Amino acid sequence: MTAPTVSVAKPPAAGAGVLRVIVTKVLTAIVVLFFVATAAFFLVRLSGDPVKLILPPDASAAQEATLRASLGLDRPLFTQYLDYLGGLPRLHFGNSLVYDQPVSEVLLARVPATLELAAAALVVALVLAIPAGTFAALRRGRAGDSGVMAGVLVGQSTPPFWVGIVLILVFAVQLQVLPASGYGGFTHLILPAVTLAVYSVAVIARLLRSSMIDVLGSDYIRTARAKGLSTGGIVVSHGMRNAALPVVTVIGLEVGTLLGGAILTEQVFSWPGIGRLTVEAIQNRDFPLVQASVLFFAATFVVVNLLVDLSYTVLDPRVRVNS
Amino acid sequence: MAPPRSRLTRRDALRLGGLALPALALPGLLAGCGSADGSVGSVLRVAQTSDPKTLDPQKQGDLTSMNVLINLFDTLTTRGPDNQLAPGLALSWTSPDPLTWRFELRPGVRFHNGEPCDAKAVAFSVNRLLDPATKSPIVELRYVKQAVVVDELTVELRCSQPDPIIPAKVSLFGGVVVPPGYLKQVGSAGFAKHPIGTGPFTFVEFQRDHQLRMRANPGYWGGRPSFDELVFLPMPDPSSALASLQSNEVDIVASLTPDAALQIQGYTGVEIRNYPGIRTSYLSLDTTAGPLRDVRVRQALNHAVDVPLLIKAVLDGKAREVPTMFPREAFGFDPSITPYSRDVGLAKRLLADAGFPNGFDTSITAQTGDSNIAEAISGLLAKAGVRARVDLVDTGTYTSRLTSDNRGALGPIYLAASTGWTLDAESLVQSNVRHDRRQSRWSSPGADRLIDAEELTVEPAGRQRAFTALQSLLKQEAPFVFLYQIDNIYAVNTRPRWQPGVVGVLGMAKAQVAS
Repeated sequence: MTAPTVSVAKPPAAGAGVLRVIVTKVLTAIVVLFFVATAAFFLVRLSGDPVKLILPPDASAAQEATLRASLGLDRPLFTQYLDYLGGLPRLHFGNSLVYDQPVSEVLLARVPATLELAAAALVVALVLAIPAGTFAALRRGRAGDSGVMAGVLVGQSTPPFWVGIVLILVFAVQLQVLPASGYGGFTHLILPAVTLAVYSVAVIARLLRSSMIDVLGSDYIRTARAKGLSTGGIVVSHGMRNAALPVVTVIGLEVGTLLGGAILTEQVFSWPGIGRLTVEAIQNRDFPLVQASVLFFAATFVVVNLLVDLSYTVLDPRVRVNS
Repeated sequence: MAPPRSRLTRRDALRLGGLALPALALPGLLAGCGSADGSVGSVLRVAQTSDPKTLDPQKQGDLTSMNVLINLFDTLTTRGPDNQLAPGLALSWTSPDPLTWRFELRPGVRFHNGEPCDAKAVAFSVNRLLDPATKSPIVELRYVKQAVVVDELTVELRCSQPDPIIPAKVSLFGGVVVPPGYLKQVGSAGFAKHPIGTGPFTFVEFQRDHQLRMRANPGYWGGRPSFDELVFLPMPDPSSALASLQSNEVDIVASLTPDAALQIQGYTGVEIRNYPGIRTSYLSLDTTAGPLRDVRVRQALNHAVDVPLLIKAVLDGKAREVPTMFPREAFGFDPSITPYSRDVGLAKRLLADAGFPNGFDTSITAQTGDSNIAEAISGLLAKAGVRARVDLVDTGTYTSRLTSDNRGALGPIYLAASTGWTLDAESLVQSNVRHDRRQSRWSSPGADRLIDAEELTVEPAGRQRAFTALQSLLKQEAPFVFLYQIDNIYAVNTRPRWQPGVVGVLGMAKAQVAS
């Protein structure tokens, strides 16, 4: 689903090519989502019976049967599956078994918080990683490079929840300058966004460094140097643009990681997002809610991949005329 | 096994790590923002692990939901500070015949929208609960057929078989009263979005996973609460909930484990309060198979598991030993029945008598959250020669196996706990003692007769006799290993003054807040 598939398409002209890429991608995405939806439906049903969790253990078998029937869980599996598939095109995901509310309502209420957190984390990650990676590449093999790379390694190997707890202890408990958890203004966003960004900073900085080193060693950079351009000018006008390509792919993947990582971070910071909702839904065996959240995550991945693929055609003209 | 020491060390390590870290941090970002939100005033902020599942009080049955909803709604009866049954929306109750309970209601009570709370509202509420279309997870009213209006302030619950503890059961959410007129007007979905009850607080707003706010009800029949606003905050992670307490973002952190509570020792301005609780733990033994068929083996296990040591070492002292599985506060508890003596030598002799001089291999199944306890019990059993492997399963799997048709699904021994919210011993034994019950793994005609006596008799003295005899029998035959009732543990700052009952529900009507 990532970058290389783009070059398979053989566009006759740039504009039509992009359109054709989009159509192909969208069709593929629909097929992917269908399979995800099916897998989610059957896998979640393997996990057990939600009625057992809704009712207390001293409920009678008759009480369980009554509740199961009123939730529609006593119908044949295939009927339930068809029902579920039928609702998908209209974005009907059914009622949450636990919250007794339409799943779409429950889910949509949490989407903004998660997107807000992931976007803030991505901004933090880029703001820290781009200078760090570029700096390390320019100082390749010297103390500055080792220093940055050591810091990056620490960031990459530290579990996010631990980073989160340390940040809470320092900034909320000791210094009392930021809220420990919860949702609200800008101040609530800082600690979780930094926590979530730490891992991505490391990944992006490392990749940017090696990509930049490759680019800086290439012929056209040597030509540019020979023409007498300053290092800063070379990095900005030639290095960045060419080093960006692999980095964009990784940033795309990082969006996925950020959404996934949000599950732990949301838990630690009591952040009202999709991650926490999904964890709870799985624990409660809230079938319709789990199915819809899985689809949401899958759809996000598909859309981000599509955007990454398309960004290639903008960043690198060779992709358009390739093959 | 010295958790206090290791906890302190870990916390200190985190503190040190924290001090080393600011070098990395973002002074630029910090300069731009004010201090953490520490707004106080006449507000009480309570953190618990999650939000209520729904705000419709008849569509939930879990503690975190009840903790919130008990502040918006009232029940027919309630529990006083002494844990005795006390009038709620009902002033008195009688049983004119074994199949009927009659409740006389408190006059003049109104819902938050002004609607009267009368016999019609009560009957409507009970009948709504019983209607399968409501999909209610509340199971206490299983023997109630219907509720009938007698006159404006009198209502009767008609049962299919005698149920002596109906008055106790309607102190829980089986006895919650909802407004019929409002429900007709806005429907069930609208009601769950903006609930209206008769309770001490009125609903203001609910942002799921963020906060639930309510305001003091000036017209509350029990008197207006002494503070203005009550806020519930869901905080799934105990460490961050405790951090929020230390940074003055919440006033009370509820439902802590002894383990989590230790994290907060030594901080000024915050303290741990633990109160007696009724959640009772025990090991269920499969008496139908293997070595556990022999009563001497079962007695040996009871002698081997040193409960006082377990409480001291693993639970930081925050629990009380129980002689059988009846909590001390429940009706039916008899203080003349004493716990087993803790004696490894005696346990070994009993095992040898039963033909296991070298002990035997078995397993203990527990939920992942109880792993410390299960491991400790396994260690205690090993001293007597019983080698019990610990099998941990998640809550969902545990519950499914517990209520499955295969009564051996959780293995020969499993660690269980029940909260008998009715404060009647019947709740502790109703599903696992009589031989034909869902979780029973024991067959004793004597126990069956005693269960029938306490379940079908309305008269208290007769029920107490049956319970006393049942406790003697349970201790003698040992189909369980009896453990402890764990405390309710809260972390609080200096503002709130509040004392929970043994049931441990977060009713805040009588709480006070220093400003």
